Amino acid sequence: MSFFESIFSDFFNSAGVVDSIRVTIVMSFFSTMISSILGIFLGLFLERFNFKGKKIIIRFNRTLMCAPPVVIGLLAYMLLRGKGPLGFLVWVFTIKGMIFAQVIIITPIICGMVYSYAIRTAPAVRNFGKTMGASKRQIDILILKELRNEIYFSILTGFGRSISEVGAVFLIGGNIKNNTRTMTTAISTLKNAGEFKDGIYLGIILLVMAFIAQSLADYFIKEDTYNENY
Amino acid sequence: MKIISLQKQLGDFSLKIDNLEFEIGAVHGLIGPNGSGKSTLAKIIVGTTEPDFGKINLAPLSQNDITMTSQKPYLLHDTVYNNLIYPLKIRKIKPDESEINSLLDKCGMLDKKKQYARSLSSGEQQKLSFIRAMIFKPKLIIIDETLSNLDPDSVELFENIILDKQKNDPITWISISHQLVHISKICDKIHFLSDGQNIQSGTINDVLLNPSNEIVKKYMSSTEISFNMYNSNKKEKQ
Repeated sequence: MSFFESIFSDFFNSAGVVDSIRVTIVMSFFSTMISSILGIFLGLFLERFNFKGKKIIIRFNRTLMCAPPVVIGLLAYMLLRGKGPLGFLVWVFTIKGMIFAQVIIITPIICGMVYSYAIRTAPAVRNFGKTMGASKRQIDILILKELRNEIYFSILTGFGRSISEVGAVFLIGGNIKNNTRTMTTAISTLKNAGEFKDGIYLGIILLVMAFIAQSLADYFIKEDTYNENY
Repeated sequence: MKIISLQKQLGDFSLKIDNLEFEIGAVHGLIGPNGSGKSTLAKIIVGTTEPDFGKINLAPLSQNDITMTSQKPYLLHDTVYNNLIYPLKIRKIKPDESEINSLLDKCGMLDKKKQYARSLSSGEQQKLSFIRAMIFKPKLIIIDETLSNLDPDSVELFENIILDKQKNDPITWISISHQLVHISKICDKIHFLSDGQNIQSGTINDVLLNPSNEIVKKYMSSTEISFNMYNSNKKEKQ
């Protein structure tokens, strides 16, 4: 067995590593999926309709976009704990609870990004659609199509945020080995235990995952701007 | 098609059209200085801007019969071909490939059919938007400075396309332009807008050659050199 093979064999056989990768992927996938549905819908809704209180909602959303995750984690914990309004769900120290907290963190990011892109593009698309004789439904579909790259970028940014988050998942998940321990919380625990080697391996895997997500995001955005002559 | 008591306020600018009629099947020129409300009126006609007061009696046309191309056209994030067939696609009309190829060929863009539309030069983008407006056979096309970035040969090509169309299957056109030579070549009727109001309507002879309104006279005197040169060349050729 070569040096590298022995290192990776030790790493993947060490208790909890594979589970932490699994928990991270499951949590990130579902939280990004739910946040994307909510964030894209809300972002487009805010662009599309004018109503009283819209400015306050946008400002509140922007505040949430830069809110510290640990604060959101605390809020989610208050909601989900036994005596909290959502205590009946019994989601504290579960992956479901972690996904819940992540959705509160990521939805405003995706919503804010989609809204910013939409206010720049959608009016022109809407006018174009009208001049071509498109129906309201056809215009809505066209707006989604024309914003597809920006929407991919927003989703991938949300995913990147999700896999790298520590504070909220620590608070809600409780960092339970083989159960709610994610790669980020595992790194934190390994560091406290002085086990830097496994922490570094997990960190490398996280970095590779984030790099792939961001490369995809860059690809979608650059695909257009490289070729434009506008 | 008639506009009666139409008003639109945009900041300090106010568009106020008391009475303006567009004869169906004719080519109309909408001229006037910058900021006189030509594009605003065009947007109201095409339905992308709502008037504050008054309305347009489109009869015998309907909103779906009207389209518009502008100086900076919106092109989809897609190929030239997919941009061209979009109006057909939403109407579930099967594209006539030979017609598409012929239009693209006329514009010298047949080899760019599969090219990303936004990578075209601004002149080519305007050509594409012009033929896209024609492809679904609307009954009124508004061309808002669409031919402004084109070279003289291309402008002539589109003028001939418009004139041919009027000979064979006439539709209504409203051309917004500062190029009086272009306007005088293709238009049957001219409407002069100034400061949000229609101050003179009539034939080329009435508005461009013998303007009765002082503002139109002043506008014409500032542009008469090129326009007179065009007219004298035309007479010489005849």
